[in-house]
Amino acid sequence: MAQSAEHVIDHVELFRGPEYQQMLAKKKIFENPRDPAEVERIKEWTKTAEYREKNFAREALAVNPAKACQPLGAVFASVGFERTLPFVHGSQGCVAYYRSHLSRHFKEPSSCVSSSMTEDAAVFGGLNNMTDGLANSYNMYKPKMIAVSTTCMAEVIGDDLNAFIKTSKEKGSVPADFDVPFAHTPAFVGSHVTGYDNALKGILEHFWDGKAGTAPKLERKPNGAINIIGGFDGYTVGNLREIKRILELMGIQHTVLADNSEVFDTPTDGEFRMYDGGTTLEDAANAIHAKATISMQQWCTEKTLAFVAEHGQDVVSFNYPVGLSATDDFIVALSRLSGKEIPEQLARERGRLVDAIADSSAHVHGKKFAIYGDPDLCYGLAAFLLELGAEPTHVLSTNGNKAWQEKMQALLASSPFGQGCQAYPGRDLWHMRSLLFTEPVDFLIGNTYGKYLERDTGTPLIRIGFPIFDRHHHHRSPLWGYQGGLNVLVKILDKIFDEIDKNTNVLGKTDYSFDIIR
Amino acid sequence: MSSLAATVQNIFDEPGCAKNGSKSEAERRNGCTKQLQPGSAAGGCAFDGAKVALQPFTDVAHLVHGPIACEGNSWDNRGAVSSGSDLWRTAFTTDLSETDIVFGGEKRLCKAIKEIIDKYDPCAIFVYQTCIPAMIGDDINAVCKAASRRFLKPVIPINSPGFVGSKNLGNKLAGEALLDYVIGTREPDYTTPYDINLIGEYNLSGELWQVKPLLDELGVRILCCISGDGKYREVASSHRARAAMLVCSKSMINVARKMEQRYGIPFFEGSFYGIQDSSESLRQIARLLVERGAPTDLLGRTEALIAREEAWAWGAIEPYKPRFGGKKALLMTGGVKSWSVVAALQEAGLELVGTSVKKSTKEDKERIKELMGHDANMIENMTPREMYEMLKGAKADIMLSGGKSQFVALKAAVPWLDINQERCHAYMGYVGMVKLVEEIDKSLSSPMWEQLRRPAPWEALAKAMEQMQSPATALADPALAEKSRRARKICICNRVDLGTIEDAIYAHRLRSVEAVREHTNAVGGCCQRRIDEILVSEPSAMRQAAE
Repeated sequence: MAQSAEHVIDHVELFRGPEYQQMLAKKKIFENPRDPAEVERIKEWTKTAEYREKNFAREALAVNPAKACQPLGAVFASVGFERTLPFVHGSQGCVAYYRSHLSRHFKEPSSCVSSSMTEDAAVFGGLNNMTDGLANSYNMYKPKMIAVSTTCMAEVIGDDLNAFIKTSKEKGSVPADFDVPFAHTPAFVGSHVTGYDNALKGILEHFWDGKAGTAPKLERKPNGAINIIGGFDGYTVGNLREIKRILELMGIQHTVLADNSEVFDTPTDGEFRMYDGGTTLEDAANAIHAKATISMQQWCTEKTLAFVAEHGQDVVSFNYPVGLSATDDFIVALSRLSGKEIPEQLARERGRLVDAIADSSAHVHGKKFAIYGDPDLCYGLAAFLLELGAEPTHVLSTNGNKAWQEKMQALLASSPFGQGCQAYPGRDLWHMRSLLFTEPVDFLIGNTYGKYLERDTGTPLIRIGFPIFDRHHHHRSPLWGYQGGLNVLVKILDKIFDEIDKNTNVLGKTDYSFDIIR
Repeated sequence: MSSLAATVQNIFDEPGCAKNGSKSEAERRNGCTKQLQPGSAAGGCAFDGAKVALQPFTDVAHLVHGPIACEGNSWDNRGAVSSGSDLWRTAFTTDLSETDIVFGGEKRLCKAIKEIIDKYDPCAIFVYQTCIPAMIGDDINAVCKAASRRFLKPVIPINSPGFVGSKNLGNKLAGEALLDYVIGTREPDYTTPYDINLIGEYNLSGELWQVKPLLDELGVRILCCISGDGKYREVASSHRARAAMLVCSKSMINVARKMEQRYGIPFFEGSFYGIQDSSESLRQIARLLVERGAPTDLLGRTEALIAREEAWAWGAIEPYKPRFGGKKALLMTGGVKSWSVVAALQEAGLELVGTSVKKSTKEDKERIKELMGHDANMIENMTPREMYEMLKGAKADIMLSGGKSQFVALKAAVPWLDINQERCHAYMGYVGMVKLVEEIDKSLSSPMWEQLRRPAPWEALAKAMEQMQSPATALADPALAEKSRRARKICICNRVDLGTIEDAIYAHRLRSVEAVREHTNAVGGCCQRRIDEILVSEPSAMRQAAE
């Protein structure tokens, strides 16, 4: 017996034991086995151009889509406010997913509640669940604000959040002046980036436009401050901290909206922090007076930015600025909007990134990459690769739309290294598989799910994206700012060098190039 | 030490070296390497020279007798490549400690030799002397002699402690050790009329293997290569070769000359860097072998092979010509490469603006004059600062050099290509030269250089603002005005600049944001306000200047 109480073997080892192997082999005949040669033939066929054509003709079925749903983005944005409890109106199973998703990525607890709608609520409407839910979560978790979003279930039956919240307040679930912003976030529209946008807009609308008719609208008295919106971002902890550091260096008065960099990185010191950090509610309200609002991710903030612009602010959006030019544009925009000088410290950091690029770009130059992920992230990474002389051959975004494709294609057309590169909006990772087989590249950039593509197609995976479940702590280091550009460069280079080593390490065969100095 | 001093003196008397021959007796005694200047940056020591010269022998255990510094810093630091044993990459050192230095390290050395034999049983052990044991009087010659006898295994002392002189001297001392203890100690299994030695070739990045197939095709056998991908047995029996090619004359001329003296093996100095040089070297090999009795058809076969390879190589370089038009290169390397690469680069259409001759012989310099004309810019000794100034002054578009000057080029934001020992590409032979041209092209076309040279955008902006505030200078420099107009992005989302929008407004007499949106790529969303401002303002001074 391979397993014994004295020495318990885990699953990695256990099923390799002879008794399991024999059992599995015997069991095979009861599993309607196919001719292995036929299986092999089909497997090879799925790598062909013919199969790719059929694959791209797919209309209804999504296979391995690289996107998540709106409420995930809503929860992500909501926890970025001071003592705010995200409350998702709908079925509780959905909410468990968001919590585990965020927990597995950030390796942090993720607090979020649901109105736990069941079948009767689906038939009669979810008002009771809302009323009870708000009362319970208010009493149990002592939040300062409850940000409501919805799952599909509530959306399909058409629950009116505005009315429900009002009624709940009347029934005394929460005090009348307690902040309960809301956003409708059905998963059947858009993706998590849309949900982020809707939730943030809902919160700003709540504070700026009179708290659903319960307070006077705020009147904007412009000051010199700048608002920053990070957008949905797996690297939010490192990135927002880096952006704040840059703003402080430049001496710019600022508010980071939906600042969840603390709550997803709480220290272990014996105290459980259900809430930590976040944009204070006062700051969220006062953000209306700012001179300008900068969004780091255009497609995460389309509605929010329009809303902010309507209130008279300058708005500027970026597409996940990574690397030299993109960071330059960001820093210059900060300086232009704030009228502040760019400090020597940043000039030095820029110089260091330039230096690092110069030291190593020969290794990246000419390499082909496939990228998939959220639209802004794809754009930012592709732009950086072009800057390094690499070719982002396939850029795929399941939640990218036509506008994204056009902008992406324009970026690719603008560089000699983008010729022959293609943007794929609305495609999934099974499409990517066909692309990797029919037009192979040197490296794949994507999230954890890319490891199956890596195994399948042999394309080495560089993990940049969301979610990253199988590697720890990378979310703590920024990808933005000059320092962030350096981090991305190092991630790419590490993989390139690992691959060179891997290809030269056979003892006595290829190891004549297994060199110490690269 | 007296025997070491005698060896050093002996090396300084090198009739094979023309420069040495022209010196007076007194000058010769002073040695051929420049005296080191305390306080100035300097290259490696004699130990390092000996180590790099012999380290590529692959099946030998290289044991460094000294404190950790010497082996710790030099372990596996060269890109020489082995087709067999990996033993040369294993670091062996006696790692001397304080007690050894007080009581002497000879016993420890002897034990270390025994332990290597017990655990690895290599075909030979090279023991390298370093400063510290030399100073305390450890006699490695005696230890090695005793160990050889006791263990019945060649244990070769490489007596080249760092303090005796330069790296180059170390190369030569290493060669002396081979002559004294190794060469001629064994007989080859068989010999052919086509056996040659390559001396001073290190198989960096495996580049010897780009030439070896050509020699194989001609039936020429490399009996021994000193020392790239070399094996102990081969060097021990290398005295039976019919001819030799000296590849790096600076490091191993004493070996080639003394082998000619002792065993009658004629040699020539040649190079496989560059196309014509590869051909010339193949010709010379064939000529020497035929002179020593090889069948004469070798000459014809060699010519046929040369014709074929040259045609291929020139053909492969041809497409780069238009890309390299007007591009200038600076070559900072030593020895034969100072001229041997020049021809290929010239053929590819690059203009050579200078080549360093620090490690070149008189003949090397003559060759340079032949290739680059009499006013060739030969750089004897260039300080990093001068190099930087030269590059910064845009007098060169690319620098080819060793790793040490890499950072000078990078700080001057000029493309750079490594052609010395740490490079990762092999440039020898016809294939290698095409590869070099390919790499130069890649380096020149990297988008990174543009980024490198570009000042931070805010510096450019500041300059433009300054210019705007003094219209006189703005008017004086329309190019600059135009540039800053193009640099200022109005629509951040779609990257539309001020110049484009102003031009559209002017050309089509636009009056509204709507109209601007139609005529340009500007989104008119978040940049609506900025476009409005342009619409109401007078044509900017910059635009007027640009016109």
